[in-house]
Amino acid sequence: MSELTDALKPYIGQRSGIEVACDSVETGAVRRYAQAIMDEDPIYGQACDHNARYGGPVAPPLLPTHLFRRPLGTEDPIQANAHNPDFDGFVAAPTSANGLPELMPLRGYALLNGGSDIEFFRYARHGETVTVQSSYADIQEKQTSKGPIVLVMIESEYRSGSGELLMKTTRTAIRRK
Amino acid sequence: MAIGPELFFEDVEVGMSIPTIEKGPMSTAHLMRWSAAMENWHKIHYDKPFAIEHDKLPGLLINGSLKQQFMMQVLKDWVGPGGWVWKVSFQFRAMNVVGETMRVWGKVTDVRRTADFGLVDLELGILNDHDKESTPGSGTVALPYRGGKPLPYPFVAPSA
Repeated sequence: MSELTDALKPYIGQRSGIEVACDSVETGAVRRYAQAIMDEDPIYGQACDHNARYGGPVAPPLLPTHLFRRPLGTEDPIQANAHNPDFDGFVAAPTSANGLPELMPLRGYALLNGGSDIEFFRYARHGETVTVQSSYADIQEKQTSKGPIVLVMIESEYRSGSGELLMKTTRTAIRRK
Repeated sequence: MAIGPELFFEDVEVGMSIPTIEKGPMSTAHLMRWSAAMENWHKIHYDKPFAIEHDKLPGLLINGSLKQQFMMQVLKDWVGPGGWVWKVSFQFRAMNVVGETMRVWGKVTDVRRTADFGLVDLELGILNDHDKESTPGSGTVALPYRGGKPLPYPFVAPSA
């Protein structure tokens, strides 16, 4: 077992608290998101026949995963890294967001999105708050033809403010030097 | 946006392809719009010198977080408001870069009946202009039976 694997092992199983997104599901944010993903489905706009069974206008299915943004009054990582040539701009890294501790042994490692397994139970409605609770499900060091990489698996449960399950995700983050 | 005719479990057969969706050609404007919408500023999607020289990438990458939206959309649009996309799974095996057009596809691999609705398993992926697969995946959707009950909402997973 490598020193890196040893150093990462204590993180496996660590669980965040229940984090509450700083903003609720806002109509304008939904519109910008839907336009950015080029999916202008009417269920995201006004109440209509097609979203009646969801209780009215809803967010795109994956929007809750992107609701956990920097609240007002917290440190601005872009300004804090204005003189850091290695800062990659990733301000909501899966390794540090959603209340999970940063994987200190991987500080300075690049990050790529490796994929996800997602289960959907219901959509978030306009005006709802969203919570998430996450854990490090597994962390594995692998050797590849391009050198060692670390696979970080993060399990998350997203719920409405009233506690209803919206979705479960298992994301794989690829970290490499 | 594509809301087709209502789809029922009986309309689906193993081996059938679902309607593809096409995105692109993807420009830096597409990627900047997505970065702004999700408020994340990973430089590998808009800072070409950083992507190539610092992170040793082949160019500006199309965000995995954006591609996963397309995987979801191809299923959501196919099943329509009467169906439900229960599971989606995918791996980002190859990079897509600015300039590519992406074609998102799906093919039915299995159909199963439960007491109240049907389940359909699919193979999914994203092909670029050169028919190279970047995002192999799978999905499971629930569809109502023709003349049957509407699907439960919130969705309740069938017992194994």
